[in-house]
Amino acid sequence: MSLPSGIRNYTYAQDMAILRTKTHWALFIGFLVLLFTSPIYLSNYWLSVANLIGITLIAATGLNLLVGYCGQLSIGHAGFIAVGAYTSAVLTNRFELPFLVGLICAGLMAGIIGLIFGLPSVRVKGFYLAITTIAAQFIIIWVINHWSVTHGFTNISVPLATIGGIAFRSDASQFYLIMGIAALCTFFAKNLARTRVGRAFIAVRDNDLAAEVMGINLLYYKLLAFFIGCFMAGIAGSLLAHHWGTMNAEFFSLKESILYIGMIIIGGLGTILGPILGVVFIRLLDRVLTGEIVPWLEGNIALPAGFASGVTPMLFGLVIVLFLILEPRGIAHRWALFKSAYRLWPFSY
Amino acid sequence: MTELLQYIITGVAVGMVYALIALGFALIWKSSSVANLALGQIVLISSWFTYAMLVQAQFPLWLAFPLVILFALGLGWTIERLALRPLIAQPILALITVTLGIGYFIEGVATFIWPWSVDALPRLFPRDVIHIGTAVVSQEYVWVVGICLLVFVLLTLFFRYHKMGIAMRATADDQMAVQACGIPVTAVFSRSWMFACVVAAIGGILIASIGGITHGLVETGLKAFSVVILGGLDSFLGAIIAGPIIGLCESLGGGYLTPYLWAGVKDIIPFIIIIIVMIIKPYGLFGEVRIERI
Repeated sequence: MSLPSGIRNYTYAQDMAILRTKTHWALFIGFLVLLFTSPIYLSNYWLSVANLIGITLIAATGLNLLVGYCGQLSIGHAGFIAVGAYTSAVLTNRFELPFLVGLICAGLMAGIIGLIFGLPSVRVKGFYLAITTIAAQFIIIWVINHWSVTHGFTNISVPLATIGGIAFRSDASQFYLIMGIAALCTFFAKNLARTRVGRAFIAVRDNDLAAEVMGINLLYYKLLAFFIGCFMAGIAGSLLAHHWGTMNAEFFSLKESILYIGMIIIGGLGTILGPILGVVFIRLLDRVLTGEIVPWLEGNIALPAGFASGVTPMLFGLVIVLFLILEPRGIAHRWALFKSAYRLWPFSY
Repeated sequence: MTELLQYIITGVAVGMVYALIALGFALIWKSSSVANLALGQIVLISSWFTYAMLVQAQFPLWLAFPLVILFALGLGWTIERLALRPLIAQPILALITVTLGIGYFIEGVATFIWPWSVDALPRLFPRDVIHIGTAVVSQEYVWVVGICLLVFVLLTLFFRYHKMGIAMRATADDQMAVQACGIPVTAVFSRSWMFACVVAAIGGILIASIGGITHGLVETGLKAFSVVILGGLDSFLGAIIAGPIIGLCESLGGGYLTPYLWAGVKDIIPFIIIIIVMIIKPYGLFGEVRIERI
């Protein structure tokens, strides 16, 4: 397929390997080394950006399994992230349980809530499911806002993440925690997509009735997709809570959910590379826009009052629409095209 | 008793507005099967445009309203021509998410131009109270119900007798056959978007003239989806019947359940109804049950 000329597979294991050639290995190890030594040469500001990217990546990978692989459109992802964030916050803050317990419980709790709101997916799909998940988003945020345990209107403070006496205090130490989990999630998703479960997801996405006729249990696989997707959202939420240290329910609005959908579309639905590219693209765009370009413009030209708050959603909306029209398969597809062009050059056939 | 009557009247009025916005959704869904999730933002920006005409530019009512209608027509045309036309025959996922992107964009435009984000429209209707039995009701609600009914009647007449209306119904029924008859389907799509935006704008103005312009208007647009779901996606009659039901549930539930539950239960009732309908009768009261083939 995409192997360079002269490389052959002699065993099944070779055929199934993710990294096929020595160059692959060298590039992969180089990337890992670069990634995990980056706290040395990145400033704290960019480290916190990287942490946010890592956390977003975990949630986006989950959403990609749900939307990109299983085809179940969910516009309530920020709500499920909020479930994870608040579960972890309440457990570690009020009940003073260790961080790891909070992290796992956050994932499970979000997964279970996801299962409940995923139940209608067995009977409906497409637009109906989109509306159900929007309703889920509003109901979740409303409960968080009004329940006396969570008090979403006021800020809740979250203790630092600690594992066995090590407190993840600095951005650099959090970077290792977050990137470790993000790498684990990506690896899990990559492998899940190649197993029976992943193939079943793809069959359900392409035509769920045909999949059912072929003997795929729709109830099981759709709910499994919801559980895995929301579990990852819960993990991301827990990390987000401990990363911020304080939060309120306003951070998990419907706009955030739409942005998550936007990220995986821009990156490329149904690929593992897609969420990575999409998350990096959107988060960097956001940071460069609000952190660099807008202040620079404000310093030089007189801008209307709403420019700073209005330009980001305008640009994000525009980017989502443009990608859907011009490149519905996302940046990941462009990258694949570039790779094959590069590999085949100068004889491009 | 007095309370009950007041709840019923406000509920029906608000429900009528929901039904109006829901009609805007059904119009587009019927003709082109695009799910327009940007409805809330369209409601928001048309209310802000009305504000700009009436308050900022100080236009008289007779000039401002035709301008608002023109604005809504232009908005619908632009959205259809620039964003939806290139996506004809794309999978439903793309069609839903593109409207989400449009909504995001429109919300950005609204914060860009009107950054203070909360304001009041001038009162459009007389505010004198009227007495029904022992209940005291603001006259505004009666006006709202009247205008909604007027728009319903106009739309029904349009669909029954006007050539374009008949073409729209035909497109909803069978796109292929319509094309074979020489009706420009793209023009039908474009008109349906334009009308939908006008209907949503009227709904927005009605509700904003009572409650003011806030970000909650986006949520109002989303609540209208509960009407669509309960009534059935492709049914005008369903929207008109389900609208007051949702409005009644909202105002009665808000009135009588708040002491027992948490405050603000009113805002969440339409969304709970969505979940319940999804589980029990996903195609709604009057919706066409789809039978799929492989």
